[in-house]
Amino acid sequence: MTKLVGRILTWVLIVGWLSFALGPYVWMFLTSVKPKSEIYSLPFHYFPKHWTFASYHALFTSTPFIQYVFHSLIVAAFTALCTLLLAIPAGFSFSRHRFRGKGIALAMLISSQFFPSILLILGIFPLMKEFGLINHLTGLIVIYTAFVTPFTIWLIKGFFDGIPREIDEAAMIDGCNQFQVIRHVLLPLLSSGIVAASAYIVIFSWNEFLFALTFASNSNVMTIPVGLDNFIGNFNINWGILTAGGVVSAIPILIFFLVVQRRLISGLTTGAVKS
Amino acid sequence: MKAFNLGKKSIFLATIAFSSFTLLGSIGLTQNSAFAQTKKEVSKPVTVTYWYWLDDPSQNTTQELINKFNATHPGVHVVGRLIPSSNFQQTLINAAASGSLPDTSRFHDWWVGQFATNKLLAPLDSYRQHWAFNKDIAQRYWNTGKTGTNSPIYMIPNEYITFYLYYNKAMFSQAHLTPPKTFQQFQTDAIKLTNPAKHRYGFAMRGGSGGQDQWFAFMLAGGAEMVNNQGNVVINSTKAVSINQWYINLFEKYKVAPPSAVTDSYAQLLADFENGTVAMFAHHIGSYSLLKQALGNKLGVIPLPQSNPKHPATLGSMNGNVIFNSSTNKAADWTWISWLSSPAAINILDRSVNAQLPVLTSVAKEPYFQNQLAWKIAIDEESYATDWPPLPGVGAVSGHVWQQSMDQALLGQVSSKQMVDTIATALQQSN
Amino acid sequence: MSLPNLSYLKNQTRKNKFGPIWYIIPSTIVVAGVIGYPVIHAVILSFYNYNPLSSSLTFVGIANYVNIFGDSVFHQAILHSVIWTLGVVFFQLIFGLIGAVILNQSFKGRSVVRGLVLIPWATPSVLAALIWMWILDDNYGVLNHLLTQVGLSSLAQAWFSQSVTALPSLMLIDLWQGIPFFAVMLLAAMQSISGDLVEAAKLDGANAFRTFWSIKFPIILPTVLITTMLRIIWTASYADLILIVTQGGPGYASLTIPADAYFTAYSDLNYGGATAMAVVQAVVLFIVVIWYLRLISKQGILEQ
Repeated sequence: MTKLVGRILTWVLIVGWLSFALGPYVWMFLTSVKPKSEIYSLPFHYFPKHWTFASYHALFTSTPFIQYVFHSLIVAAFTALCTLLLAIPAGFSFSRHRFRGKGIALAMLISSQFFPSILLILGIFPLMKEFGLINHLTGLIVIYTAFVTPFTIWLIKGFFDGIPREIDEAAMIDGCNQFQVIRHVLLPLLSSGIVAASAYIVIFSWNEFLFALTFASNSNVMTIPVGLDNFIGNFNINWGILTAGGVVSAIPILIFFLVVQRRLISGLTTGAVKS
Repeated sequence: MKAFNLGKKSIFLATIAFSSFTLLGSIGLTQNSAFAQTKKEVSKPVTVTYWYWLDDPSQNTTQELINKFNATHPGVHVVGRLIPSSNFQQTLINAAASGSLPDTSRFHDWWVGQFATNKLLAPLDSYRQHWAFNKDIAQRYWNTGKTGTNSPIYMIPNEYITFYLYYNKAMFSQAHLTPPKTFQQFQTDAIKLTNPAKHRYGFAMRGGSGGQDQWFAFMLAGGAEMVNNQGNVVINSTKAVSINQWYINLFEKYKVAPPSAVTDSYAQLLADFENGTVAMFAHHIGSYSLLKQALGNKLGVIPLPQSNPKHPATLGSMNGNVIFNSSTNKAADWTWISWLSSPAAINILDRSVNAQLPVLTSVAKEPYFQNQLAWKIAIDEESYATDWPPLPGVGAVSGHVWQQSMDQALLGQVSSKQMVDTIATALQQSN
Repeated sequence: MSLPNLSYLKNQTRKNKFGPIWYIIPSTIVVAGVIGYPVIHAVILSFYNYNPLSSSLTFVGIANYVNIFGDSVFHQAILHSVIWTLGVVFFQLIFGLIGAVILNQSFKGRSVVRGLVLIPWATPSVLAALIWMWILDDNYGVLNHLLTQVGLSSLAQAWFSQSVTALPSLMLIDLWQGIPFFAVMLLAAMQSISGDLVEAAKLDGANAFRTFWSIKFPIILPTVLITTMLRIIWTASYADLILIVTQGGPGYASLTIPADAYFTAYSDLNYGGATAMAVVQAVVLFIVVIWYLRLISKQGILEQ
C-alpha cells in the first residue's frame, strides 16, 4: 500500500517538475510555429490556428544558424576536454594529498569567480590581443577553460572526497602507482561525477554570452547566444526565428544528456568496487 | 566490469575522434580564410571595418549595402560586424578602452558628447566640404554631430526620426472620438478609451528601457526644455516639473496606461498596440512598416499632440556614422560612410524594413515619401523637432538614470520635482 | 590493519618526488594566467578614478569606497543581492535535492526524464529572460491567464512592474534555470552510495525517509555543501536576467550589486566606482568561503 502511494507521489512530482521545466519550452515551440499575427494576440490561445514552419525554414536558409551551432559544439567539446584534463589531477590532489596552504589554495582558486565577469573584460582584452585570439574559437576555449576550471576542481574534489580512502589504499598495496590508482580504480568510480562536471562545463560554454559577444562576434566564429541576440533588433524582435533558434539549440544539449546520462546511472556499484 | 570498460573505451575513442574531427575542421576553416586573405592582397584594397546594429533584424539591409559598396568600389573593402543593439554601447566602450575600436561605426547622436569629449571621434569638416551631397543635408542635421556651437562635426547624418503619435482608428471610431491635437484632448481621449476590466487602455506609456525618448518628446511638446539657449540644464525648471507631473498623472492618477507601463519596454508596447489593447502609441517611422502590416487600415498617424499648438515641438533623433580617431585610413573610411548617406544608399535603406527618415532633402521630396501620410507627417515635424543635447551626461541619463527615476515617480516613491532634479544632476556630470 | 597502512605510507614516500604541486600547477597556471590579471587589474582600478573612454587615470585612494558606502542606492543593492543570492540558492537546493531523489528512483522512462528536466539549465539567459517575460506578462502572459481561468483573477498582476513582485519574479526565472544544476550534482553524488548500505538499513526496518536522512544524506553532504557554496558565488555575480528583464527596476527594486556595478561602469563611465562595488562583493564572498572551509574542516568533511 505504502509502495503504491510512493509510486503515485513520485509520478505526481515527476509530472509537476516536467511541466515547470518544459512549460516555457512548449510555449517557445508554440510561438515558433505561429504565424507572426498570432504571436501575441488576444483573446489568448495556446495553440496556433495556423501551424507554420516558416520560421524554421528561414532559420536554416536565410541565417547561418547551423554554423553557430557548430561553433558552439566545438567550443563546448574542447572546453570540456581541456578542463577535465586540468581539473581531475588537481581535484585528486586537493582531495587526497595533505600539504601546507591547501585551504588557501582552494579559496584563492575559487576567488577568481567572485567578480562579475563584465568587469573582467577590460583586463582580459590585452591577453586576447597579445595572443591574437580575438575572433578565434581558441580564444573562447581558453577563457571558458579558465573560468570553469575552479568550479570543476571543487566539484571533482568533492566527488573524490566521497570515495573512501580505503579503496585507493587497497590498490596501492596491490602495487599500483598513483596514476594507475587514478586511471584504473578511481576514475571508473568517479564517472558519474565526471559526467556531472562535464554537464556543467558544456552548459557554461553553451550559454556564455558576454565573452562571446566581446571576443567572437564575427559570424565565422559566432556562437549560439550571440546569434540569438542578433535576432533582437532595436525596433523589432524577430520572435519566430528567435524561438525557432531556441528550440533548435536545445536539441544538441538534449542529445548530449541522453547519451551521457547512462554514466550517471552506471557510476559506482558495489560489484565494480569489489572486483 | 568488462562491459563497463568497453563502454568507457568506446566513449573515449568517440571523444578523440570527435575532437580531431572538429580540430581538423577548424584548421581547414583557418586555412581557407588565410587563403582568402592572400587572394585579396593581390589587388590591395584598403580594408575598412564597420560596426552596426539593426533596427529590424528580419532583413540585414546593412549587409546588403556593404555588398553593394564593395562591388562598386574596388579600392575599398568594407568588413561589417553586426552587434546586438542592446549591447552596442557597452561593446564600443570596451573596444575604446582596449584600443580595439573599428575604423567606422553606426552611431546615435546621444553618444557623440561622450565619445567626442574624450577625443575618440575624427572631425569630418574637411571631408564634408568636398562632398557632392554636402548641401543636400540640412545644416541643422549636420549640427547633430556637434558637441557645441563652435565644435567640429563628428558624425555624418544618415537616418532621422521624429516622434509622432500612432492611433488605432477602430478604437477611436467606436468611442466616437477624433484624434487629439492638444494635451488636453489627448488626456480626455485617453481617459475615455480606458476600460481596465476589458484590458483597454488609452495610452501605451513606456516606463521601461528606452522610454526616455517618448518621455522627452512629451516634455518638449509640453513646452519644457532640457538645455536653454545659454547652454544651462533647465530640465528641472518649474515648467518642466509641471509637465512631468502631467505625464506622471496619466499613469498614476488617470490610469490610462496598463499597470505594467512602469517597466514596459518597446516589445510590450508593440504587442499592446498591435492587439488593440492600447489606442495610442507615441513612436516614430522606425516601426511604421511593422505596424502597417499588423493593423492595416486601422493604423492612424498624427503629429504629437501639443500643449501649445502654436509653438509645436517634438523629439528628433539622428543615427549617423562616425570615423574613429584611431583609424589609419580615414580617407577610405569617409568614402564608405559618405556613400552610406548618398542617394544610392539612402534610397535602399529608407525603403527597407530598416527605414527611417531620409536626411537628403532631394530624397525626402520624392513621391514615395511625400505620398505616404506617416512619412509626410514625420518629415513635416522635422521643422520643429529638437534633439537630445550633446552633453556627455546624456549617456548616463539614457543608460539608467531616467528609467530608475521615472519608475520611482510612477510608483509614487519620488515627486516630479525630485525626478527631474536627479536627471538634471546626471546631465551636469562631466564624465 | 596496521601492517597494510604502513606499506601504504612507504608507498607514498616513494612517490613523493611527484608531489601534489605537479597535480595543481597546470590548472593554476591557466586560471591565474587568464583570470588572475583581470581580477588584480579590477582591484587596482577600484582605487582610481577611471573613465574607460578617456585613458586618464587618477589615483583617489579609498574615495570610491567612501562614495559607494555613502550611496543609498548601493545599500539597497546590497540588500537585494543578499535576498537574491540566498533566496535563489536555498530554493534551488531544496528542489534540486527532491529532484535528485526522484531521478534516483527507478521508474519507466527515467533516462528520458533525466534528459528533459535538464533543459532549463542549458537555456541561454537572453532566451530564458524573454520567454519568462512573456509568460509573466500582464496582458498576454500564460500565468495571469491561468490564474484568471481558475478564478484567482485577483492574483493576476503586472509581475515585473511592482516593487514587491519584481525581484521574486526574477528569482523564479533563476530558480527555473538553476534547479537542474543541483539535481545533476546531487544525483551524481547519490550514485556513489553503495547499494549494500541502503539494503542493510532497509533490513533493519528503516523507512525511506530514515534511510535517506541517516544513510544517504551524510554521504552526499560534501557535495551538497560544495555545490551550495559554488552556486552562491555564481548567483551573486549573475546579473544577466536582471539586466535584460527589469534593468534593476522598477526604480531600484531589483537592483543587485553586479547590476549596479554594470550601470556605474557602462552608463556613468565611473569604472573605479563599479570595481569598488565588485571588490566589496568579492570580500564578502571570500569571508563566506573561508568560513565555510573552516566549518567543514572542523567537522572533518574535508579531511576524511
